[in-house]
Amino acid sequence: MNTETQKVMGRLIDNLTPVKRLPSPSLRAAAWLALGIPYVALVVLVMSPRSNLAAKLSDAHFMIEQIAALITGLTAAVAAFATIIPGYDRRIAWLPFAPLAVWLASLGEGCLQILKADGFRNFASDWFCLPAIVLVGTVPAIAMAVMLRRGAPLTPKITTALGGLAAAGLGNFGLRLFHPQDSSLMVLVWQMGSVLLLTLLCGMAGRLLLRWRLMNSNDKAA
Amino acid sequence: MTQQANNPTLERLMQAAQTGDARAYECLLSDITPRLRRMIQSQRRFLGPDEIEDILQDVLISMHSVRATYDPQRPFMPWLLAITRNRLADGGRQWARRAANEVLVDEVPVTFADDRTNSEQERQFDSEDLRTAMRDLPHRQRDAVEMLKLREMSLKEAAAESGMSVGSLKVAVHRGIAALRKALVKDQ
Repeated sequence: MNTETQKVMGRLIDNLTPVKRLPSPSLRAAAWLALGIPYVALVVLVMSPRSNLAAKLSDAHFMIEQIAALITGLTAAVAAFATIIPGYDRRIAWLPFAPLAVWLASLGEGCLQILKADGFRNFASDWFCLPAIVLVGTVPAIAMAVMLRRGAPLTPKITTALGGLAAAGLGNFGLRLFHPQDSSLMVLVWQMGSVLLLTLLCGMAGRLLLRWRLMNSNDKAA
Repeated sequence: MTQQANNPTLERLMQAAQTGDARAYECLLSDITPRLRRMIQSQRRFLGPDEIEDILQDVLISMHSVRATYDPQRPFMPWLLAITRNRLADGGRQWARRAANEVLVDEVPVTFADDRTNSEQERQFDSEDLRTAMRDLPHRQRDAVEMLKLREMSLKEAAAESGMSVGSLKVAVHRGIAALRKALVKDQ
């Protein structure tokens, strides 16, 4: 056997310390959500909930979109945590696309109705959405980044894009609880556009954020 | 049953290694290393033995660094092969980059012919000055210079021993050498 490889093996054995096994992706996603939801609730309280929130909670369209946004965030988190476990089926990365499709379909249907009735007459800029989603998604995004760095960076760009989608999905869920913007066209362009932009940016940062750490921060039992 | 007890599976060995069992880890590494070497050789026929060993060491170190991600309920080999494939792909990219940028020359010019241009390099430094300058370095830089320049360890070995990443080691040794040069020239 090559002596260099033997030396490396010897060092690995000498440096062996107990490690705490990572929980399953679903459990980690649940833990992430358990951390993110109270923060989102806090931001909604600080920004003060929209005045018609009680009425909106009985609006089927609003509820479908909110539930779809939340499930998109949750499934994106499960998929992100699965992509850092070697040996997991990579098709799991498609998991958030089903709720995302429901979310988009619901918004799209609303858009069509608006376009048929008024065209683009009521379309305006709403630059508040992007920073607001960033604000609501910041803590979940940081938590996500910290949790992702404990795994194997097998597909860094896909993993961080999924992590970004999870945080932005949760951010948009929170935003709609205090931002009284319900026009599907506006929501689709400004809110969904912000979510997709943030997902793209997070994906581009993948290789910066997730790298092989050749030794050994995982050696510590964490 | 007896065979199972005498030949623990890779899953059991890895599970034991996660709890810090060094003997189990040694058995595991001894078992998987030749398999990995064969696999890397079969997939990278164009590489020389040293490059094969480099990738093999990368795989072993990578596996070590993410051993917390192994779930004993799942088979071990797909977990290991996913890491191997990833490191092979990274190694392939690095090899392609090196091949694209490497310039082959017959003889590397070491220095210039004119004596005056060599005065800086050939100046004799007092070994006590060097020891003092080394002592004054921040500990990360001192460790990096000691391991890479004095003990002539490879980056991977130094990373394995120090717990620093290869990137941090490169930065630390670069800064360390620059600080030593500055300290020694200032003392002249």
